Amino acid sequence: MSRLDETWADRPGWWGFLTTVDHKRIAARYIVTVVAMLFLAGMLALDMRLQLSAANGTRMGPQLYDESFSLHGSTMLFLVSVPVMEAMGIWLVPLMLGARNLAFPRLTAFSYWLYLGGVLMLWVPHALGITPDLGWFEYPPLSGPGYAPGHRADIWAQMITFTEVAALSASVNIAATILKMRPPGMTLARMPFFLWAMLIASLMTIFALPAVMLVTSMLIADRLVSTQFFTPAGGGDVLLFQHLFWFFGHPEVYIIFVPAVGFVSAIVEAFSRRPLFGHIAMVLSLLSISVLAFGLWVHHMFAVGLPRLGNDFYTAASMVIALPAGIQIFCWIATIGSGRPRFATPMLWVVGFIATFVIGGLSGVMVASAPLDLQLTDTYFVVAHFHYVLVGGAMFPLFGAFCYWYPKATGRMMSERWGIIAFVLIVGGFNLGFFPMHILGLEGMPRRVYTYGPEMGWDGLNLLATIGSTVSVLGGLVLVANALLSYWRGAPAGADPWGGPTLEWAAPSPPPPYNFEHTPVVTGVAPLWEHDDLPVMTGLKDDAREVLVTSVLDAIPLYRQHSPAPSIWPLLCALAVSAMFVGSIFTAWAILWGMVPIAVGLILWFWPVRGRATSGPLRARGQ
Amino acid sequence: MYFSPAALLLALTACEKEARVIAADQPQTSPRGPQDPRAAAYENNAYQVSQGGRYFSWYGCGRCHASGSRGDLASAGARRDLPHLYASIAHGHTSGARIPPEQIWQLAGYIRSLPRIDPARRKRQDRDLRGEPQGPTWTGALR
Repeated sequence: MSRLDETWADRPGWWGFLTTVDHKRIAARYIVTVVAMLFLAGMLALDMRLQLSAANGTRMGPQLYDESFSLHGSTMLFLVSVPVMEAMGIWLVPLMLGARNLAFPRLTAFSYWLYLGGVLMLWVPHALGITPDLGWFEYPPLSGPGYAPGHRADIWAQMITFTEVAALSASVNIAATILKMRPPGMTLARMPFFLWAMLIASLMTIFALPAVMLVTSMLIADRLVSTQFFTPAGGGDVLLFQHLFWFFGHPEVYIIFVPAVGFVSAIVEAFSRRPLFGHIAMVLSLLSISVLAFGLWVHHMFAVGLPRLGNDFYTAASMVIALPAGIQIFCWIATIGSGRPRFATPMLWVVGFIATFVIGGLSGVMVASAPLDLQLTDTYFVVAHFHYVLVGGAMFPLFGAFCYWYPKATGRMMSERWGIIAFVLIVGGFNLGFFPMHILGLEGMPRRVYTYGPEMGWDGLNLLATIGSTVSVLGGLVLVANALLSYWRGAPAGADPWGGPTLEWAAPSPPPPYNFEHTPVVTGVAPLWEHDDLPVMTGLKDDAREVLVTSVLDAIPLYRQHSPAPSIWPLLCALAVSAMFVGSIFTAWAILWGMVPIAVGLILWFWPVRGRATSGPLRARGQ
Repeated sequence: MYFSPAALLLALTACEKEARVIAADQPQTSPRGPQDPRAAAYENNAYQVSQGGRYFSWYGCGRCHASGSRGDLASAGARRDLPHLYASIAHGHTSGARIPPEQIWQLAGYIRSLPRIDPARRKRQDRDLRGEPQGPTWTGALR
């Protein structure tokens, strides 16, 4: 064991910090950064709510309000929701697979550094007073060269490029790990539901994100080198932007939601103390959600003016997605109903999720209908709807997952009492704050207005919304404080405090750098509930970084693979890529000259360290 | 932490270029001679220049001063300072007296920026603005 430790440990100090390829350390970094972003975005939200709490508010002018909601939306979607789901995957997938690391450890490091680049890309200019101010989707022509002077729109577009490259790196990594590094015996049929969710979300990411990278690159080209993709007078088409954006934007909602479904299922299973009801139905409904998600982006564009048949088709498709989502809700309820449920904090979050998400789903079915959507589009009804599905559907499961796996990550239990207080404040405050927005929307209050007149009669409900949001933000602070204090003062957790069914609970808490002493062998979907002593496989070296590669369908061991050691090159390559991305805001030549350091960096990153093969198809010539 | 003075200067000038002041206390008066300090805030600011560009098409300036035509103002923008340009808009045109001072500041700032704009980019910006009213005529939204 000490030999394993020596093999897998990072060098101490700064060098170890900068070069690490340990998926747990990188995921922790991701999560700390996300929490900081969540705090800033929450403060922005509170600031906007204060502005709107009474008629004729003077806290903000229109420009500051525009900047605030643009920054809030862009941060929450691109710098919080997607990265945090990737981070949970990066942390959990190898542990749940009984593996030593992800398939491409250095890519994990590269992914984090680029994500950090995206964070700085948006928030450093903000600190300098240059903030994107066109909403989180920056439609042209408003974001085109004629209407968006300066570099604000460029900053937004390049922030997207940063975060999407980071998310693609993480997704490829997670998908390859799940498909090729499952432990012996974990066939696809025996794969825990959470891993299905991460696999599906990763594949969706790989298909959806190129669309937004393409469209923001086209926007930058329009602004930087005067191409004419989005100007009708030059033969371009502004709707092209909307179609490409929402071809990413709608699947993106499910890229956020599908991992959350995985969290909920893992928590429901562990706390109901029975295997998930309808495992196969759940997997199939997840698969159908992932396919349908690519076929309903147009419901974000009902107000644009499309042919009748188009509207009808996308109305139908949007309503159909309620079926698989409903199957999942009923499967969770059946699992809880037929199990012996224990309502600890993670399970409370699941209950909060189901209640809130069902409300969001129902208002979703309402706006899925094109005629009703035409009335409600760009009103607070839509604001209420998407906060119910995104906060209720993704953030609440995330908080549950945070409480559930916190003991595994830190070796300490979080305070249950403060956990319940945070839960009540957040869920109560959220519903108090956002439910009135449905009514405000029906009364006609438009989105994105920085103030309104007293004659509109919206003061009371807006004040209620502000009070609710404040309570919710306070709850968030309690949650974070609980996590911070428990890190030092929490009760020791032991390996398996909740009696969980999946492999991560077999590793010590917190897991050592090599995760598991031996590779587990799996005989069912809930391995820890089937054996008192987990069967294991030996044969991986303990004096070299080795991981086990197995077959895609049946997880039959194929070979032992060398796992790359810590390296500084992912960081240096990320710096080179960042220099190119930032430079390309100012001059097109940055793309050309920026390639040179990237190429040098990548060559050195992938410089072969092993001798040429002496046998087999890759044998060196002349041997 | 260490900041190099050059980077700091770059950051500050970036702020000036990117600043967006939308408030009621905009200038109500014409420039006080060639050294008026307000000139820099108009000709170096992306937002003010862009607003000037929009008024340029709204007031129909492009009918005589279209890009690439004989009346192209790029060379005038290079030759003359902003107060000069202000005076020729306000007093050299019959309709100049009807334009509010703030908009003349912006128009003059736009003309000052013309020699710095790449011709391809200027053409691209004009295309974006094609759907705007051009002087007294407006042909409706682009289709």
